[in-house]
Amino acid sequence: MKSIRKNKAFMAILYVLVFLLLAEWLTPVITLTDTGHKNLFLLFIGISLIMAFLQIHWSISAGVKVFFILWFLIHVYTDSAVFSFEALGYILFDLQINIEALFAQDWAQTTDIFRTVLFFSLLWMAVYLIHYWVGFRLSIFLFYILTVVFIAVLDTFSPYNGDTAIIRIMVVGLMLAGLLHLARWLEGHRINETLDRLAGFIIPLFIMVAASTALALYLPKAGPIWPDPVPYLTSFSGEGGPGPAAVGRIGYGVDDSELGGSFIGDDTPAFRAEVEDGQYWKVETKDIYTTKGWELSEPVADPVLYSNGDIIETEFIPGSEEESLTAVLEMEQDFPFVLYPYGVESIQTNGEIRYSYSANDQKIEPLLSGAPYEPDNVEIQFNEPSYSLTGLRETTVDKLAELPPEFDRYKQLPEELPQRVRDLAAEITQNSETVYDKAQAIENYFERNGFEYSLTNIPVPAEDQDYVDQFLFETKRGYCDNFSTSMVVLLRSLDIPARWVKGFNEGVQIDAETGSDSDIYQVTNNNAHSWVEAYMPGVGWMLFEPTIGFTGASQIDFDLDVETPDSEEQELPERPERPEIEEQDEAAAAAAVDNGPNFWDRTGDFISANKGLLFLAAAAFLLLALALFLKRQKWMPKILVPYYRRKNGKQTFEKAYLRLLKQLDLYGIKRQDGQTLMSYARYIDSFFGTREMTRLTASYEQSVYGGQPETVDWHELKESWENLINRTSS
Amino acid sequence: MLFYLSHLTAELSYYPIFVMLMSKNVTIRNIICHPMGEMMMNPKEQLNKVIDNIEKVIIGKRDIAELSIVAMLSHGHVLLEDVPGVGKTMLVRALAKSVGADFKRIQFTPDLLPSDVIGVSIYNPKDMEFNFRPGPIMGNIVLADEINRTSPKTQSSLLEAMEEASVTIDGVTMQIPKPFFVMATQNPIEYEGTYPLPEAQLDRFLLKIKMGYPSMKEEMEVLSRSQLSMPIEDLQSVISLEELLELQRQAKNVNVDDTIRSYIVELARQTRNDSYVYLGVSPRGSIALMKSAQAYALLKGRDFVTPDDVQHLAKFVFGHRIMLRSEARYDGISAEEITDRILTKTKVPVQRLVGQ
Repeated sequence: MKSIRKNKAFMAILYVLVFLLLAEWLTPVITLTDTGHKNLFLLFIGISLIMAFLQIHWSISAGVKVFFILWFLIHVYTDSAVFSFEALGYILFDLQINIEALFAQDWAQTTDIFRTVLFFSLLWMAVYLIHYWVGFRLSIFLFYILTVVFIAVLDTFSPYNGDTAIIRIMVVGLMLAGLLHLARWLEGHRINETLDRLAGFIIPLFIMVAASTALALYLPKAGPIWPDPVPYLTSFSGEGGPGPAAVGRIGYGVDDSELGGSFIGDDTPAFRAEVEDGQYWKVETKDIYTTKGWELSEPVADPVLYSNGDIIETEFIPGSEEESLTAVLEMEQDFPFVLYPYGVESIQTNGEIRYSYSANDQKIEPLLSGAPYEPDNVEIQFNEPSYSLTGLRETTVDKLAELPPEFDRYKQLPEELPQRVRDLAAEITQNSETVYDKAQAIENYFERNGFEYSLTNIPVPAEDQDYVDQFLFETKRGYCDNFSTSMVVLLRSLDIPARWVKGFNEGVQIDAETGSDSDIYQVTNNNAHSWVEAYMPGVGWMLFEPTIGFTGASQIDFDLDVETPDSEEQELPERPERPEIEEQDEAAAAAAVDNGPNFWDRTGDFISANKGLLFLAAAAFLLLALALFLKRQKWMPKILVPYYRRKNGKQTFEKAYLRLLKQLDLYGIKRQDGQTLMSYARYIDSFFGTREMTRLTASYEQSVYGGQPETVDWHELKESWENLINRTSS
Repeated sequence: MLFYLSHLTAELSYYPIFVMLMSKNVTIRNIICHPMGEMMMNPKEQLNKVIDNIEKVIIGKRDIAELSIVAMLSHGHVLLEDVPGVGKTMLVRALAKSVGADFKRIQFTPDLLPSDVIGVSIYNPKDMEFNFRPGPIMGNIVLADEINRTSPKTQSSLLEAMEEASVTIDGVTMQIPKPFFVMATQNPIEYEGTYPLPEAQLDRFLLKIKMGYPSMKEEMEVLSRSQLSMPIEDLQSVISLEELLELQRQAKNVNVDDTIRSYIVELARQTRNDSYVYLGVSPRGSIALMKSAQAYALLKGRDFVTPDDVQHLAKFVFGHRIMLRSEARYDGISAEEITDRILTKTKVPVQRLVGQ
């Protein structure tokens, strides 16, 4: 029998369509991974498919493919265009390195050549599988569905735009599915047709696909009914953040009016600091707490301008060490401000740069002829401030009342602040005498009361919720913003002036500078941080570090308390971080959506909102299932016949026979409990006017009662069986 | 003897059979009379020849003939229950003639003694010792006519001989030659002066068969055949006793699948649970059903038992083994009907047992 598989022209059409489908897989992969030489990869697929189509012996085909891969590697990775010993040697050497790397599980060591080889192997495998599906199984549906899912997922979750690809895939896939169905149908009915006759089927198929595609393209497209699932999915996975275009990342940002939400780490380098000891690098402070975040009050005074090397007067008096320290900052990101350590004295950069210091937010902005300037290198002279312990012991509470009104803005609190926050502050500090003691009590409160440092699963406060209140009493987990903001609010509720500081912490020491006292610290976006400054009456502003796991706290000596922003190396499991939402609008929007009800709540909402529809759908589904179940006698044989036709083996006949009994039962000829198979078979045969049931039954009895299943030849009985089972569906 | 030996050397294939038969006390004459050609036939053909032979004499009773052969093949005995004159004796004689067996007949009367059945030792003054004179039981096929007419003592002696296939007199045990097949008849009509067999002893019979009257057409045929001479006189044997013994052996080797075994046991258990039944079928009854089903399968040319075999034989095996409560008798329910009912409601096993 001449099979449709032998029809070269027909199969050629199939393979061309398969090639187009495979090309759709390759395109996004190439685009997304920035791989070059797309045409050569396509050529590889093409060659493989042609060889599969021509049924070239596997050894030749494999040889050609290996040759092609080698040629590709040499062509792309070495300069020699032809095969040469050097080129081959290079490839072999590379292979050796990679195999070693593989065994050492050192994935980073694998080279591009090796990855290319792997990619080729993958393509090879894909072509082989497709060849199998199309050439042998005459079925493409699974692959087709996978392709659609693949493109849909890429289109949704990656920058790849699958708008046109999906249309091409639909056309190609429908064509393929239609042709393969035709092929299966011809095979199933053992029909031999020439391609001319087949054209009678194929051309209408083309026309139908073309027409439906054209119609689909012409019809108006409705917008999506459901919102973009991506932000929702990312929030569900605990990686809250803005939409796909800008993934929520840690870093230094400007807007702090909406704090909260989860963050993922980002180790993009910010700058390198060459300094003797790691420092907290301050950027600015904020003073107005809004129950949701921080804002800055209107400046009361003009900023002061300094030149290179001028002594800059901040609210922190430089320490009295004999020699000032020098920090050299090599900026790796462009910041329009200077990151300065505590006790800054003067700043030096290249060029005619002036520095504008605003007392309002403590920010130092470099200006080049009046315009904001982003320096590449900054050299800072500083002397770490020190505090007298005696002075700190004298920071009595009554001195707070004597503070001038300039400090009022550092005591600001929103009216909505829940009373329990104030009560908590009073409770924490009830045993503390001095202002400094109180500040310390609050600073240490978090560590001892079950608070947890975490970047993920941090909610955004709801509309009527206070950011600090939520952290202190409900979640008790968060990152630096939570801790520092809370401490500021607690201090302020005790009328202690306090403000919220943003900047970077010391970063990671990467290299010790030989021959000098300086070390080099790498500061990344992960090191963005926030902390607290509080005013100690009679002493001045002091740094406090309430965040768990950070060591920016003051060290108190016997009589001389040196406030060192940081003096120790630290290798903490969790690096200090100062999460910032860089694109605040989206972040706020996304955060409001993301951190609201969780997945199950939303599912519940969806269900309750669409109860009627869902019920109808469920009912329709059940009805359909019921109808299918009741009518199974009609359609089951269509499945059973091809299924058992292919099957062989000892058990097949028995299974097929029992299946036939079930079908006959469904057909309406019931076998009584006490009726033997043979008497039933005689009845069946008399009913249908056949002799086949008796024949089958005799064989079945031989197999089951006689214990000789091996004597039964399913091939001989197949026809009788098919004949009977087909009768049951008519 | 010389002739036999030459025959033996000519046909080497005789040898194992010869040894086998010698060990069973069979006379050499039988071998010489029945050449090997017939032994090559398959069991179904052989047995059908016997049945056809019987049918020449007994018209329209093919099923009864089959059952008799089934009982004979499975080393069992048959109780024929019917009115006189329906051909019970004729059936047994035809069977005996067809297989070339030694046929004995015992007419049971109230004054029959056990020794009249199994034989007696008589003092021989010449030899100064007791000589055993075998009774009619020492035959291959024995017709025990109207067994319920004799005293329980004599009945017991027959039934014991049937069970043991041997008789013991004066401490000497005598084997009854094989094959040994007893067909007992019982007249259900006349109860006066009868000793009905106790139920426990009925169990000794493999099958209980009822002959029934022939149909009108059949009876006319009977008349026409009997007009000139009794057909039984012209009957020739179609298989030898040795072949019969071989067939008996083959019957034992018929495959009984676990599914069939479970079916048989299930049927027997059902009889024990029936509300009409006072005493159900014993395990011996289950064995009887299995053995007869094996023989029946052989008769049908199969080497395995099917549920059809079991169903066909259940009525004859169980009929006399089920003791009914009096309620059943009031309701007019017979043991056969109970068996039929159980057959209808017990599920026929159609699938290999799990774990097979």
